[in-house]
Amino acid sequence: MAFLGTRLYLGLDASAVTAAAFGDGLGRPRPRALADVPLAPGAIAPSPSAANVVRGEEVREAIRRAVSGLGRRVTLVLPDGLARIALLEVPGRADPRDFVRFRLAASLPWPASEAIVEVLPAGRGRAVGAAVRRSTVVEYEQVAAAAGLSVEHVHLAPLLALEGLMRSGARDAVHAVLGDVALCLALFHGGVPVALRNRRRDRSSGEAERLRDEASRAAAAAGDGSGRLVVSGREAARLRLEIGEGVVEQSLPGPAGWSDSEETAWIGGLLA
Amino acid sequence: MSGQPDFGTAPRPSRAPLWDRVALVAGGLALLASGAAAWRARDEAGTARVRLAEVHRDVETASRRLRDLEGRARAGTPLLPAADAPPARIVSTLASLLPGHARLDGLSIDYGRGGVLQLNVVAREAAAWDLFLDRLAREPRFREVEPGPESRDAEVRSPVRAVWVGGAP
Repeated sequence: MAFLGTRLYLGLDASAVTAAAFGDGLGRPRPRALADVPLAPGAIAPSPSAANVVRGEEVREAIRRAVSGLGRRVTLVLPDGLARIALLEVPGRADPRDFVRFRLAASLPWPASEAIVEVLPAGRGRAVGAAVRRSTVVEYEQVAAAAGLSVEHVHLAPLLALEGLMRSGARDAVHAVLGDVALCLALFHGGVPVALRNRRRDRSSGEAERLRDEASRAAAAAGDGSGRLVVSGREAARLRLEIGEGVVEQSLPGPAGWSDSEETAWIGGLLA
Repeated sequence: MSGQPDFGTAPRPSRAPLWDRVALVAGGLALLASGAAAWRARDEAGTARVRLAEVHRDVETASRRLRDLEGRARAGTPLLPAADAPPARIVSTLASLLPGHARLDGLSIDYGRGGVLQLNVVAREAAAWDLFLDRLAREPRFREVEPGPESRDAEVRSPVRAVWVGGAP
């Protein structure tokens, strides 16, 4: 049975379908129900321009299981790895969305006219811009509709996580927000991002060490010598363990009872 | 809860900017207010029309009366001011003319016709009646004395018409 006064989020990524129901009310949303249904490798392959939903029937079944009893109207959360994301300084008089479209157009691996562009205000005249190919969004919307769901909104997992970090006044550090196939490295100063990188993950051996080195380089390039690293998202617990708990911290924890293996950065962003 | 970015491809109901919505609401309220004012004005116009019709009727009545009075004036029956024919003086004059067995039973004064009097006289004896008529006819303050039909069963009852001329008491 669906809960009254709840908002249902449905996240799809390469390793799992995640449903999270949050109670609407005063203050921050409270988690009411969470479900994580693993996917076999290759069922979803987040990509900017290639087909993402590879085995539709398998994904549909996972969606049905994840949302069972939680509701039919969802906010769809697209995974990291399919959008072009950048932190941009927006000129005062420019429309942020138009400016982001203009700046990202040349770097898109698809015609700019096919891009859906959205903007997340990031303070100090900056904005996090993201561009997603329309046909890619349609793939995810169609698989959700085929599972009997009504899609009310479509969001992007790394933007939800970054929004939560900004809302919670993230400490000065390099924040690594991990998806299954891609990650965002955001250097925060004074509670807002001052530098942002988004790239695909290399989960082969030595990922933790590479992540630590990359975070150090990103911090140094931005003039931050602290080298503090904060890791959130998929497999964050493993990476924190490998890097060393004294060096790396956790920033966007999941709700109580949410196991480390199920840690999802966008849910942490909603709860922040 | 975030609700800002939305990458959905389905057409969403467009949401007008806040000021546009405020202006729309204000416009709606102004429309309602002007509608209410127009309705009130319509009621007031109806009331004014009824009042105007009443005034027209009053004017018409007054005009008719004025025409009537002007017609009478042209016909030579001028109005007699009440000050020239005070009822108390007329009655006292008549009382002085009545003999002992006669009495005045009624009197009307028509100022609009120049002071025409209508007397109702009752006399116990025909002689008293004749004496009253004689005195009245000779009295200079009355003219055009016209006795009406007489009833002489046990006593004489008769209306008398006369015109008050007035003069020194």
